[in-house]
Amino acid sequence: MSEQKGPGLLLIGVGTMLTSMTVAGFGLGLFVDYWLDTQPLFMLIFGGLGIVGGIIKVHGLLSKLG
Amino acid sequence: MSGSSSGNETVEYIQHHLTNLCVGDCDPVTHKAAGFWALHLDTVFFSVALGVLMIVVSARLGRNLVTGTPGGFQNFVEMIIDFVSGQVKDTFPGHNPMIAPLALTIFVWVWLMNFMDLIPVDLLPLIASGVLGIEYLKVVPTTDLNTTMAMSLTVFALIIYYNIKVKGVGGYLKMFVFHPFGKFFIPVNIVMSTIEELAKPLSLGLRLFGNLFAGELVFLLIALIGGTMAVGLGALIWFPLQVVLDLGWLIFHLLVITLQAFIFMVLTIVYLAMAHTEDH
Repeated sequence: MSEQKGPGLLLIGVGTMLTSMTVAGFGLGLFVDYWLDTQPLFMLIFGGLGIVGGIIKVHGLLSKLG
Repeated sequence: MSGSSSGNETVEYIQHHLTNLCVGDCDPVTHKAAGFWALHLDTVFFSVALGVLMIVVSARLGRNLVTGTPGGFQNFVEMIIDFVSGQVKDTFPGHNPMIAPLALTIFVWVWLMNFMDLIPVDLLPLIASGVLGIEYLKVVPTTDLNTTMAMSLTVFALIIYYNIKVKGVGGYLKMFVFHPFGKFFIPVNIVMSTIEELAKPLSLGLRLFGNLFAGELVFLLIALIGGTMAVGLGALIWFPLQVVLDLGWLIFHLLVITLQAFIFMVLTIVYLAMAHTEDH
């Protein structure tokens, strides 16, 4: 029971997970861009990875429902 | 009263209520923080005061515990402790004596800070300006992004601490290198895992802030119905409407504040539980 309920409760935050990962991706990219002076290269790459990662994460969480 | 001046008053009213009592490095015109050394005194005061209230009430109750047939308040507190303890037992693998007290503290403290939203929006700012001469006062600490992000970053620090404690530095870093696409996409894995980790405190802090800020805004808009529209006989219509809407939103918001405190607590337990397990 304990193994199942923990990850299941992550579904509470599934709505904000996609947006948070997108924001975190763009934010991290922005930070790296300022650091390396490469605007807007990493912001776009990491932002894209954040969106893809968010979709994978949400899909993974919701797949456990079925 | 012309339409534009009424609109300006409305905007001013809302802006005034959403402005913190800022001291230190603050903008003299907007009264918003202008640098790192700006302190939102109202947020600090109310969050610390509620924390102290929680400690004092708990200590008093702890000294006067009754076995057998406890009183109503002790029953109520025991019910909350049982509820949180049940959540921790169901969610958290293994044993860590810090998790349940941490979860209980988060739940009660966040709930108390959220509860400040149910106090009539004009009451405390009016008292503060009338009695103490304080121009700006924002009474709900969780409608300040600084509070929610401070709490979520503290949880994030605990997540990193327990990850390193349980998995070791090497084990924790391995998680960044080989997750989620395996050994052939190491640079992508590092970026994706970093984003995933950063998303945890972001989602925790932004969710709580967003819900409470929106709730506060709705209370302000309802307060405006009686405040700016009620002139003469119009008050006979607008004032009862304001009372009904306020009551409705208050009852609904009571659910929201409890739910948001519960979500913050549960996700903290789940994230810490994930930090305590060997797999990702």
